[in-house]
Amino acid sequence: MKSIQARLSLGLVAVLVVAGLVLAQLTLWLFEVGLQRYLENGLRKESENLLVALVRGPSGLQLDERRISAAYQRPFSGYYFRIDFDKGTWRSRSLWDLDMPKPAAPGLSDSHELGPEGQQLLALRADYRRLGQDISISVAQDYSPVREGFRRLQQIGLGMGLVALVLVLVLQRITVTRSLRPLERARQQIAQLQQGQRSQLDAEVPSELAPLVGQINHLLSHTEDSLRRSRNALGNLGHALKTPLAVLLSLASSERLKDLPDVRAQMREQLEQIQQRLARELNRARLAGDALPGAQFDCDVELPGLLGTLGMIHGDGLLLASDVPPGLLLPWDREDFLELLGNLLDNACKWADSEVRLGIAPYAEGYQVWVDDDGPGIPEGQRQQVLERGSRLDEQVDGHGLGLGIVRDIVEAWGGRLALLDSPLGGLRVSIDLPRKAR
Amino acid sequence: MRLLLVEDNVPLADELTAGLQRQGYAVDWLADGRDAVYQGQSEPYDLIILDLGLPGLPGLEVLAQWRAAGLATPVLILTARGSWAERIEGLKAGADDYLSKPFHPEELQLRIQALLRRARGLANQPTLEAAGLQLDESRQCVNRDGVDIQLTAAEFRLLRYFMLHPQQILSKSHLAEHLYDGETERDSNVLEVHVNHLRRKLGRSVIETRRGQGYIYAGSAA
Repeated sequence: MKSIQARLSLGLVAVLVVAGLVLAQLTLWLFEVGLQRYLENGLRKESENLLVALVRGPSGLQLDERRISAAYQRPFSGYYFRIDFDKGTWRSRSLWDLDMPKPAAPGLSDSHELGPEGQQLLALRADYRRLGQDISISVAQDYSPVREGFRRLQQIGLGMGLVALVLVLVLQRITVTRSLRPLERARQQIAQLQQGQRSQLDAEVPSELAPLVGQINHLLSHTEDSLRRSRNALGNLGHALKTPLAVLLSLASSERLKDLPDVRAQMREQLEQIQQRLARELNRARLAGDALPGAQFDCDVELPGLLGTLGMIHGDGLLLASDVPPGLLLPWDREDFLELLGNLLDNACKWADSEVRLGIAPYAEGYQVWVDDDGPGIPEGQRQQVLERGSRLDEQVDGHGLGLGIVRDIVEAWGGRLALLDSPLGGLRVSIDLPRKAR
Repeated sequence: MRLLLVEDNVPLADELTAGLQRQGYAVDWLADGRDAVYQGQSEPYDLIILDLGLPGLPGLEVLAQWRAAGLATPVLILTARGSWAERIEGLKAGADDYLSKPFHPEELQLRIQALLRRARGLANQPTLEAAGLQLDESRQCVNRDGVDIQLTAAEFRLLRYFMLHPQQILSKSHLAEHLYDGETERDSNVLEVHVNHLRRKLGRSVIETRRGQGYIYAGSAA
């Protein structure tokens, strides 16, 4: 899709070039026609002067040398004539030894070329009858200076036209940029929206853009609203199901079933499966995923609370540290990201001996998140199995299992990759690559 | 140990109460948030188990009011809303631990044990140790010099309270307040009987009497 700016420039250039050329050519042509009309008058006068200079001499017709202009005497002066009558042809002295053809028809003609200087001649032939004879007088004038003048004029005009075109384009670009500035601002804001740096577009826009921006803002808040509603509904559903499940779990381990160990074991197993399935599916359904373009996770604000919570749950003996650049904003939903980090860190805390480290680092194509612990780790051969176990709910999952399953759901929803590696602390490193949102 | 359970689901509350009582805790049960705000502050509870989805007043609000009023009792939050965002919110409001429903009763008991010890500044070990005695809370028996000594439920409750408050003079009324729920009639003679039983099983010096003040736990080291 070409930009509006480019389209406007292209359209303007086309219109200006066509209109400018047509106009310039038309003006030149009209001017030339006018000039020729003026020169024709002069030539006609000349021919009439020549006619007057024709006198009856002793041997018939004779040209009165005194009455003709000196320009006709000087060779190649640019002024020429030829007089054709029954008895022969007279040519002006200025023609020297060259021949000026007689124009085919009376009137103005401008196609003759006369060497050796390549003079362009504008010739007028006029037919008269005088002293009882048919006389045809052709008067010609060198037209090349005028032609030259016109060519120069054309070049100057072309140059000026080009300069004007450039000037117009520059001015147009400035005007267009200026008047498209709200669009550019909206474009930047949409980019910020995707990077999670804002949650709404600025509503102060020209009236042409107002409906668009209003609609986008409406959609954003609508998406946010419906996400909140569905999360709330899921929370209610979870609440409605989990409380009875807690009762059943409690019943299953109560003293009343002490004599029925089979029933007890069976009940507990089934209830556990329901519980895990419920937790996993509810978590999956809660994910905002890519639905919210304005979502953001402010590491500086959220991480201390999360680490504090984990520290409280797992006791004071654990060193919880984070290696996150200050002021880092991540373009994902707050609750989703907390869920991801919470599960990752909780897992690590369960297995760590004394230390858990969280790292988040941005790079060109995305973000890398890693969690290290100094626990026993997982042998390389079993890592794939652990990753897969998270997705199989019919198996007993514990520790690195269910939590990682939820993490995997989130990472997959964001198009990222999850890997289990060796930690420099000696235990397990869970490493996640999250691509930036490309839209 | 006297606990307050705030839970609006009656069957769950019944189950939990029964389970906790088996563990030797005195349990008071409330279902409404507004009642909980009042009673949590007026009665000397050792620990409060608080459900978040309460009628009357939301659990987080209840907790915030307690903390605003300066109540320091450890609070364990019990909720079906187990997302991390909600957990953080709960702990920011002043909770000490968080358990999401559904849970195993054993998990709840372990968390309660751990919280009670943490509140007293004790390490979280499988057995409660104080001055030469080791109390196994899951089996409700005490170990002295490698010998297990069985305890009755009442003796266990009393000894656990003593061991969680070592070197501290505990009056009879204080003990009665923390060992019995709000509905049990408190008879100080019963307490004396149980103290005597403990002395008979563990030696006279395990609990000293401070005349006019109450009892103090000395353990077997003294």
